[in-house]
Amino acid sequence: MNEHISMRVNSARLSGNKGRTVRLPCKVLRLSDDIAIVEASDGGQVEIQRKNVDMTATYVEVIGNVVDASTIKAMATLPLDSEGELDMQLVNDVIELTFESRFDKLFPRYKDT
Amino acid sequence: MSQLSAGICRRLNEAPQEEIDQLASGHTVQLLSIKKVAPTSSSTTATDRFRIIISDGVHFVQAMLATQLNDLVANGDINKNTVVIIDKLACNFVQDKRLIIILDLHVVSRNEEKIGTPTAPPSTQDAPAPAVLEATSSFVTSPATSSSIGQAKPIQPQPRTGPSGRGGRSVYPIEGLSPYQNNWTIKARVTQKSDIRTWSNQRGEGKLFNVTLMDESGEIRGTGFNAVVDELYEKFEEGKVYYISKARVNLAKKKFSNLQNDYELSLEKNTEVEECLETTSVPMMKYNFVELSSLEKLERDNTCDVIGVIKEVGPLGEITSKATNRTIPKRDLTIVDMSQYSVRLTLWGKQAEQFAADDLPVVAFKGVKVGDFGGRTLSMVSSSIMTISPDIEEAHLLRGWYDGIGTEKNFQSHTSGSSGASFGGFNRNEMRHLSDVKESQLGMSDKAEFFSTRATIMHIKSENISYPACPTQGCNKKVVDLGSGWKCEKCDKTFERPEYRYIMSMAVADWSGQAWLQGFNEAGLAVFGKTADEVHEIKERNEAEYNALMAQASGVTFNFSCRAKQDTYNDQTRVRYGISRITSLDYHEEAKHLVNLLKSPWAQ
Repeated sequence: MNEHISMRVNSARLSGNKGRTVRLPCKVLRLSDDIAIVEASDGGQVEIQRKNVDMTATYVEVIGNVVDASTIKAMATLPLDSEGELDMQLVNDVIELTFESRFDKLFPRYKDT
Repeated sequence: MSQLSAGICRRLNEAPQEEIDQLASGHTVQLLSIKKVAPTSSSTTATDRFRIIISDGVHFVQAMLATQLNDLVANGDINKNTVVIIDKLACNFVQDKRLIIILDLHVVSRNEEKIGTPTAPPSTQDAPAPAVLEATSSFVTSPATSSSIGQAKPIQPQPRTGPSGRGGRSVYPIEGLSPYQNNWTIKARVTQKSDIRTWSNQRGEGKLFNVTLMDESGEIRGTGFNAVVDELYEKFEEGKVYYISKARVNLAKKKFSNLQNDYELSLEKNTEVEECLETTSVPMMKYNFVELSSLEKLERDNTCDVIGVIKEVGPLGEITSKATNRTIPKRDLTIVDMSQYSVRLTLWGKQAEQFAADDLPVVAFKGVKVGDFGGRTLSMVSSSIMTISPDIEEAHLLRGWYDGIGTEKNFQSHTSGSSGASFGGFNRNEMRHLSDVKESQLGMSDKAEFFSTRATIMHIKSENISYPACPTQGCNKKVVDLGSGWKCEKCDKTFERPEYRYIMSMAVADWSGQAWLQGFNEAGLAVFGKTADEVHEIKERNEAEYNALMAQASGVTFNFSCRAKQDTYNDQTRVRYGISRITSLDYHEEAKHLVNLLKSPWAQ
């Protein structure tokens, strides 16, 4: 049943998840028609291929497919603005925590992990 | 075999006062013997004193080891025939004899053979002889065993005219003061001078003041009473160095002082105090700082030294002393340090009034008392010393740390609010969940008990949400509707309109259970965001809107600080949970705490 699993990641975790659907909370740095450059919660920069996907908020969660270690093909986005400030350090802490083995039962994992 | 500084023993034995100070350091000698000296029967502490014989291969002299070096003997770092380099020594002249005290040394080598055949140095008059071996027959040949040297006193008597220029004054170290010698002079800095205090009891009344005096060897307290106060109080200035002589050396009254010394000085009419202008040899404050995170290890009533950045300065307040019925000004400061802990420190009296630090300075505190009110607190006592922005390494480190990252850090507070006092703050470290509160039967005993919790409002009893109260500031008594007005029984006044105040019962729940909490006006304001008057008016005017308001308030989560107490109402005794403080959640803040909790050892 759980084919549509998308874990929240940061830029470092993209390379281990190639081809999978992930969620990337990020800050939009540069926006153009087809591409956006964003900064993930661990500070790394990622390229988002975003044809027809709306990305006008400052902080956004991108749901998409991992193309390679620095590119995601976006399927949808969620605006995350909270009065303009989002503590990315806190976000990163949470992301790293979700991957810890002691929480395996709490968070859905990809099939072959 | 180590090379000893030949001739030093003779110089030590012969040199006049000024030279001794310069001979202080850098000489290599061998310790021929170390003997424990029996403490005098009147001494209350068990501090051992060691008499040592030092030899330079040519001569030997007797000396005392300063108590701060006792550990070296205790763990065997120095023993017979150890070769050491003297880092610091002092020499005091006791009537006609001179007594050398080694204040600091370091070991060069141990387990050597006795170097040379040291003999007792020649008895001399003033002029120091050249440092050359002189093999005349007037010398006392040293017997083989060094222990018997220890028994005999090979120190030759010295005429007292040696030291010049200071009127025959030879400076004693404070360590060496005892009631058995009266002809001493100390050179010390006043590190602390108290206010003049007056007292009156059955035996009479009077005034007194205290000073804390410090030199390289130690500290001692001096007290002056009545007439002496008039004479000497102005003379002593904090921070300055004085020659003091002819004060009486008494056993210390430990109750009034927290210094290490067994003795203290009584300043009398004939005590001489002379300002000393060459202050270089007298050290500034010596501290032994404790990190704020380890304050919990200290017991209540202990004293300690701390250094930290003042993060918050409280307003000047007053407290009435139950003992004397006088009001004493007080002020609370919050200090933080690199251990990322914060603690409250209380200033009293003049210090509280005069404290004026607009910036956030680094302050060092010496001798503050540890209290356990709400966790751990610190308090200035009369002998505490506060130094703002001291020029010491720890202060510079703290300044750099705070300016760099300290301002953003969240500090763990020592105020844990669990010691039974009516401390209403929200304490995240001691939060309980509702089923825990009920199971531990908080509030079931006669005493009120406190807890903190985070819960979501499920339901508010909307029938009785507020009551008409007396509008007089400070009086919250219910007023009675006389038709012509509302009367307050307590103030005996009648008002046209009452001021409504919240009184609510709410059912709150968390993951573990549910409880009924009683909230007052403050709680109502936090929950509804409107005054009780406004809500009362909505209720009268439009019931639908009122119900909507109630519904809107449900489902909101707050942090509560509560007070659990037993209540008897119509023969029924129940525990009631009153809200003493309610705060909305700052999700960012809470999330950070949760992350920390998850990373802590508890969560592993």
